[in-house]
Amino acid sequence: MNENPNIDELLNSFIDGELSQRQFTEVQRLITHDEQIAQRLHELQQCKVLVNSLPSTEAPAWLADEIKTTLERRTLLEPPRRYYEEIQGARHLLLRKVLSAAAMIGLLTVLAAVIYTILAPEGAEEKPFVVGDLRRPTSDITAPKPDLGVVKGIESPKPAIASVVETKGSESVAPVAAVEKSIVFIMRLELETGGLLAVRAFISRAIGDNGLFEREAQAYQNDGGMYAFSCSREVMGVLLADLRNVWDKFETAKLYVETGHGGDEVVIEGITAEQIAEIIKEDGFEKRMEVAKDFAVLNNMHNLLPGKEIYASMDSDKSDLGVIPKPVLTSGSEAIKRVREEIDDSQKVHLTILITGR
Amino acid sequence: MTETANINIDDATLVEQCRQGDSEATERLIIKYQNRIYNVILKICVNADDAAELSQETFVKVIENIDKFEGRSSFYTWLFKIAVNLTLSYCKRSAKLGLKSLDSEDDKHGREGRRALKEFLSDDSSSDPAAIASNKELCELIKKALMKLNDNQRAVIVLRDIEGMDYAQIARVLDVELGTVKSRLNRGRSNLREIMEAISQ
Repeated sequence: MNENPNIDELLNSFIDGELSQRQFTEVQRLITHDEQIAQRLHELQQCKVLVNSLPSTEAPAWLADEIKTTLERRTLLEPPRRYYEEIQGARHLLLRKVLSAAAMIGLLTVLAAVIYTILAPEGAEEKPFVVGDLRRPTSDITAPKPDLGVVKGIESPKPAIASVVETKGSESVAPVAAVEKSIVFIMRLELETGGLLAVRAFISRAIGDNGLFEREAQAYQNDGGMYAFSCSREVMGVLLADLRNVWDKFETAKLYVETGHGGDEVVIEGITAEQIAEIIKEDGFEKRMEVAKDFAVLNNMHNLLPGKEIYASMDSDKSDLGVIPKPVLTSGSEAIKRVREEIDDSQKVHLTILITGR
Repeated sequence: MTETANINIDDATLVEQCRQGDSEATERLIIKYQNRIYNVILKICVNADDAAELSQETFVKVIENIDKFEGRSSFYTWLFKIAVNLTLSYCKRSAKLGLKSLDSEDDKHGREGRRALKEFLSDDSSSDPAAIASNKELCELIKKALMKLNDNQRAVIVLRDIEGMDYAQIARVLDVELGTVKSRLNRGRSNLREIMEAISQ
């Protein structure tokens, strides 16, 4: 028996007719010249013949019918299954869509947060003031506490400067300083002038001279300016005496005084520096408020009457109202003494001056 | 090859009609191949009931998946691929059962069959296949010898010597290389010869 598997493979291919013509001729030559190979070929052929001689068995007669019955049965059962699969598929797709949408929203949120972090102006949340309407209750507003500073290199307690805020045009923007309503008398003076530059320069200088403001440059704007500060009545009196020199430049002057009741204000039309000085001269919040209300009524009546007789008589009767002795600084030590003067919080007044050009 | 080509053309038409829900075409496909499928399955798994069940499963699977038949191979190859795969899977699961059924019939086909087989193997002249087929005991011994082969070798020999497939078709049906088919056939026939010689003693 030939045990060479390569020869066996060739012989099997020879038997099965799977050889090329050249291989076929070669194997034929081998068979002719080698009896062992011829014997091995015979053995393999016998195997093939034996298997090939096995009788073919026919399928059972019922097989075709059984196949058809099975197919029909499955066809009947198929629609509900498909329907169920379709529902499951639809649900799966819906779930995927919802999850995709949620993921997209999440990504967009993160993206928006990142973009905002990059593009948001620096220090946007670090504004020292809450810009808004003064009529809002101040208790709702939080602002930095007024600080004490250095005046012209001299270390001293300085009248607290609440803020300097720039305004544009007639935009009604009012600062609300860290002024507690219970101890500070809050006023807002709105001025309108034709000579904005000159008036603003004068006011800035007056404020600076009185040690109330050391950062004038920040107050300058093309079409307006705003100054806000808290100080003692005495300092305020000096400032008003200075402002009196330029008062005739104001075309309108309105004073708003906070009543402290639900954001209400007393509005005094055509206010004068003398009237303001008269108001703050009074001791106590209530007395000042009474005087402010009186001036509001008087000034309104004055404006309503064509001849302005009442105002004229008031002026003549109270000619001393406008006389505000302006202190004369004879030396630097006096100024230092003044600013070092301990300010009683209950005597503090807060004034915001808004100037707009016409 | 000419015959195969004609079968393929007919098959393509039947498959197309079957896809369109033509039950008559489906029936014709089943009738056309049921005996050949059953015969091949039976020669691989031996048990008639199992062969019938596997044949039924094969056709049901083929008809249900006829839309997935892409035509890259012939329908004939695809059909036999499914049949042989199902059968080999079945054989792996119940190989022991198949051998037991033969062992129990060992004595029944003993003496007469062994004598006939011995004569056949020792005879140098070529025997008449019809004479072999008529000898039931000899046929049972041959089946027994086939069952002694491993599943892969038996499948190749059945597809080649019973179904008459060429090597390339066998490779496609079993999804193996052509060289694998040759080596399996070579080892299968060698083993079969040895088994039959052992049985005939």
